[in-house]
Amino acid sequence: MKFLCVPCDTPMKLQTVGPPEGGSLSVVYSCPECGYEMAMLTNAYETQIVQSLGVRVGPDIGGGASTRLRAEGASAGLAEASAEAGAAEPTKCPFPAMIPATEGARSGQADEPVPVRWTSGAEARLANIPAFVRPMARTGIERFARERGALEVDEQILDAAREFFGM
Amino acid sequence: MKGYHDIVGDGGSGILEQVAGQRTRIADGLAGVRHLVAVGSGKGGVGKSTLTLHLAGALRARGLRIAILDADFNGPSQARMAGVQGALFVPGRHKVALPRTRNGIAVFSMGSLVPESEAIEFESAAHGESHTWRATKEFALLGEILGAFEWGAIDLLMFDLPPGAERTVQYADFLGPRTSFLLVTIPSEVARGVVARSVAALSKGPNRLLGYVENMSGYYCRDCNAIRPLFVSPLGAEALAKAAEPSGLEIPCLGTVPFDPELSRHCDTGIPLAALPETPVGRALDNVAQQLLDSLESTSSASAHAPRELRPG
Repeated sequence: MKFLCVPCDTPMKLQTVGPPEGGSLSVVYSCPECGYEMAMLTNAYETQIVQSLGVRVGPDIGGGASTRLRAEGASAGLAEASAEAGAAEPTKCPFPAMIPATEGARSGQADEPVPVRWTSGAEARLANIPAFVRPMARTGIERFARERGALEVDEQILDAAREFFGM
Repeated sequence: MKGYHDIVGDGGSGILEQVAGQRTRIADGLAGVRHLVAVGSGKGGVGKSTLTLHLAGALRARGLRIAILDADFNGPSQARMAGVQGALFVPGRHKVALPRTRNGIAVFSMGSLVPESEAIEFESAAHGESHTWRATKEFALLGEILGAFEWGAIDLLMFDLPPGAERTVQYADFLGPRTSFLLVTIPSEVARGVVARSVAALSKGPNRLLGYVENMSGYYCRDCNAIRPLFVSPLGAEALAKAAEPSGLEIPCLGTVPFDPELSRHCDTGIPLAALPETPVGRALDNVAQQLLDSLESTSSASAHAPRELRPG
């Protein structure tokens, strides 16, 4: 979809994307010639058309104007996944809400396991994988680390896990 | 006034570029995969998943490097059968390493991530509208999996497809002409009719149809060490056999595989047959694996783009 400023006959540029609200996005475009602004407000169906493609609307500038499209039903899962990744950038993956049991299993443990820290390098590797796999990967790696007496997951632990499981 | 095609770019939404980027990631991720084979049918319950796993096992036993992608997202069974339920997913430097079976087959299955007691849900904008988005979301998920996991340099990636003749064609369209198809049927006219429909649909596209396997072609009775009939046609066995050709399965038959309750037990308990036992079923699976390999090799020799031999690993 493209927008044209008719008086200027100039293509409009995307300025901001408001966070999804009630399944709707507010996408603001402006004309670089006359500065006229207009907003495209999507309904839930239009939002989901793009969301289903697994893409994001807006320039990738670290979560500012860039907003990952998502439907109401996935909001909680996405929020968890973003917080879980420890990154400011919203997740690129629209599927974490499909994995409800994993999060539940993590928080529902009667005996809280010893906390395990993640180094920035290991965290970056974790953040680089699809969000729907991330919670399970984190849980499994932390268990692997604990079983070896490590309270920190670094890249050596990740590589050791790969080696151990023959990957 | 300018028209759509007069304007370069999309003003900053970047959606087309992202979709193109997804395609590139998928192509890059599969660049090291020598053969892509989708195991489908159109009909459900004919043993696609079982055959996929055991053909993979037979080929692995020949030293080939094999991966399985369980593309049946709504009814994933490979995780249980391959023994990778709850397997560890390890983040690599750029992608995710895949769990492996004991005999070294890499397996992705949603069954490794979602317990069998949980439904796999794709969110929808409104109640009663999930059908509108379902296929799009499933294929977006397939794209994400193809682009995000380490398939590496392997000889064969097998896709275990969901049932549905129309879905089979959708997978062919999504996976592209590099993917060859192996269809599975059983000796019943109903199943053959559905598979024939899949053959007819796939024949309109560019994907190669390697052939079909007739699964559950009798059952192996351990007591009498013989193959006994499992499906009895009112027309008689001969008429049923003859009916295969006129019904439209005009593709090579790569073999017949009898049903074996022992094989079924292995699948339920997640014990992949590392070495196929010396039974008629084991020999049948091994024979189909060889036929599949020969068929793939004949494809390779006919293709100027794939001159390499299959490499043991």
